[in-house]
Amino acid sequence: MAVAVLNPDLVDMVRRGSHDFNASACMNCGACSAVCPMGIQLLPRKLFRYVLLGMEDQVKENTETIYSCLLCKMCEVNCPGGVHIAENVRSLRHFINRQVFRL
Amino acid sequence: MTMRRIGVYICHCGGNISDYVDVEKVRGTVESEPGVVVAKTAMFTCSDATQQEMLQDIQEQNLDGLVVASCSPKLHTFTFRGVARRAGLNPYEYTQVNVREQCSWAHTDDRAGATEKAIRLVRAGIARTGLTVPLDPTVVQTVPKALVVGGGIAGLRAALGLSDIGIAVFLVEKEAQVGGWVAGFGSMYPHEKNGQELMAHLKGEIAKRSNITVFTKAELVGKAGSFGNYQATIKVGGGKAGAAPAAAAETIQVDVGSIIVATGFDSYHPEAGEYGYGMEGVVTLPEFKELLDSSGLGAGEGRGNGHRDGHDSGRDDGGAGTALTYKGRPVRSIAYIYCVGSRQSRDVPNANTYCSRFCCNAAVHTSLEVAAAAAPRTGGGGVSAGVRQYHLYRDMRTYGKYELLFNEARDKGSVFLKFGDDAPPAVARDERSGRLLVTVADQLTMSTEVTIPADLVVLVTGMVPRSNEELIKTLKLPVGKDRFFNEIHPKLRPVETVVDGVYICGACQGPKNSAESVASALAAVTQSAGILKKGFAELEPLVAKVDPDQCTWCGKCQESCPYDGAIRREQVAEGQGEGKVTGRVKGRGKEVAVIDAAVCKGCGGCAPLCPKDAIDLQGYTDAQIKAMIEGLAKEVGQ
Ligand SMILES: Cc1cc2nc3c(=O)[nH]c(=O)nc-3n(C[C@H](O)[C@H](O)[C@H](O)COP(=O)(O)OP(=O)(O)OC[C@H]3O[C@@H](n4cnc5c(N)ncnc54)[C@H](O)[C@@H]3O)c2cc1C
Ligand code: SF4
Ligand code: SF4
Repeated sequence: MAVAVLNPDLVDMVRRGSHDFNASACMNCGACSAVCPMGIQLLPRKLFRYVLLGMEDQVKENTETIYSCLLCKMCEVNCPGGVHIAENVRSLRHFINRQVFRL
Repeated sequence: MTMRRIGVYICHCGGNISDYVDVEKVRGTVESEPGVVVAKTAMFTCSDATQQEMLQDIQEQNLDGLVVASCSPKLHTFTFRGVARRAGLNPYEYTQVNVREQCSWAHTDDRAGATEKAIRLVRAGIARTGLTVPLDPTVVQTVPKALVVGGGIAGLRAALGLSDIGIAVFLVEKEAQVGGWVAGFGSMYPHEKNGQELMAHLKGEIAKRSNITVFTKAELVGKAGSFGNYQATIKVGGGKAGAAPAAAAETIQVDVGSIIVATGFDSYHPEAGEYGYGMEGVVTLPEFKELLDSSGLGAGEGRGNGHRDGHDSGRDDGGAGTALTYKGRPVRSIAYIYCVGSRQSRDVPNANTYCSRFCCNAAVHTSLEVAAAAAPRTGGGGVSAGVRQYHLYRDMRTYGKYELLFNEARDKGSVFLKFGDDAPPAVARDERSGRLLVTVADQLTMSTEVTIPADLVVLVTGMVPRSNEELIKTLKLPVGKDRFFNEIHPKLRPVETVVDGVYICGACQGPKNSAESVASALAAVTQSAGILKKGFAELEPLVAKVDPDQCTWCGKCQESCPYDGAIRREQVAEGQGEGKVTGRVKGRGKEVAVIDAAVCKGCGGCAPLCPKDAIDLQGYTDAQIKAMIEGLAKEVGQ
């Protein structure tokens, strides 16, 4: 895989959408992916990693995925890390709206 | 010799033995051995009921010897010695035979063979018992003083603990100041205690004690005497702590009952080029902590619930905007690389295969210091806006309560990346920007390779043993494969060494944080006090003995003995020996070897070397060994 160039400011750009963005509490257990009714593989743990690490291109490439989430919170009630998954997804949408759709 | 009256007890061990050894057959066969008066089997020989039965037999049948054929002597030697003692029989007239580990457990495929072997072993035990004599433990008077080597947090705390219970202490520190590593630290995990303050407090306490003598710039260079009564030689290069250093070295002799070794550890020193070490901006964890402390960021004020120990914040700028700089340049991004010099692959020469245990906690804690100093103090969020921190780890070992540190660090914005054992991160410098670039395949992001721009790379270096060859030689300290000092038993005897009266504690016996170092130091205090407070110690009498009538002093035994001072040369008046060393008379006469029962460990190395056959090991005399061999060799059918 190609070496990803990091944008260390990405997390702050996303965080602007919500002060509740707490992806760093994620411990990558995968409980969320397992219970997702949409079978969204990328959400949320991989996406959160992209944000935390500052992998901006990878976040933007997954605009589609970010919008397919139902915000049902199935994952959130099962998350042992207390990650505000739905809120985090909202922050991401906010970011995409600004950065991709220029809204 | 008059016929002995021996009782033999063979154990089923509830089936552990009897499933593979026909214990009834063993009993029936050995019952007719010369001297055997009682031969019984029991379901559990160690049970209270059987012990009581043995006791009764010994008294009613007037037994003068006891053989128990059960498990390893490591388990129950003291149990059955106790039975003998309670029955009025000398405990050294009892022999343990191991028919469990050596017969039933070893030969589960061969019941007949296991039974035959058991018969032979029990016969040997009976033969040995037939030749026992009553022995008494050697009693040594103990000196109520202790020597502590090393003045780190472990050594100082041990000295105070001993002082508290009235044992005088000599503390030897090789540096000009006591304090060890902790004296150099600012804020430490857990509880944000400041290392400098902590050690200043301990030093102050020590200065108040009249029964603690501290020697700095000093080393232990000699140890003579025996357990409970050692003569230690200390070479002092400077003066007492605090005093102006004297120029010339002097040698001081002190008498001590026990010695506690607390010589600590060294920080792993990376090889040049290891994770970029040597490049500007690549530092070790201790170097980074020093940088933080010297820039006023590591004092612990920024973190936690506001105050600690009644000290007000030393910083007056409220924390916001306090800049961390390295060589004049601001630090905005830090990459920590974990496990440097620890958990190395066996392929590395002299690999440190162990986990250093303190470093995950220390590094995570340090990053919290950085986050606290860099974060605007707005209360909510608490996210470090100023400094990005990336932790490249193999496994996060913030064990026990320290897990909270890890959670807090993630909360405060630290990013954790996991690398595989076979894919260590690479550190390079970006020629254009001059920044450091750390490249790693992050297992938490599908092993995507990412490159992190960093102003500082902190190598989370582990603990290695200090090189202390002189001390190891002087004290004959047992050193483990990992080159740390070794205890006798990691669970049951965690601070004792195989050298009687010499204890180890703190990080010199393996990686420990300061709380763990202090816990082991206090354990060593208790072990020392156990012998020193009683005033005397009893030692096994199973040691070598010289028959002065046979001995003509050739010195072969002394040359072979691994223990200093166990064998000395003395003059005895002719004819005064009568087989008893204690009966010797000093003065003109022949020279013989005399064994100090307190120093001799009964290894028996000297006995076969004596050309005059003058040395016997008590409890394992030549005659006993020969009789045992005959017992072993005798046909089982007979
Ligand atoms: C960077 C770093 C950060 C750490 N942070 C923390 C933390 O936040 N919290 C925590 O609990 N722990 C922390 N630790 C671990 C802590 O430093 C150790 O647990 C502690 O220092 C062990 O104490 P010690 O007395 O066994 O050894 P040391 O501190 O090494 O003291 C040993 C002393 O013995 C002396 N000595 C050595 N050889 C001889 C000799 N032959 N004769 C006489 N004197 C001798 C030395 O000069 C030294 O004074 C950290 C360690 C490091 C490296
Ligand atoms: S369930 Fe929670 S902790 Fe587990 S991977 Fe998903 S977001 Fe992370
Ligand atoms: S404590 Fe952590 S950094 Fe230190 S060796 Fe163990 S796993 Fe590695």
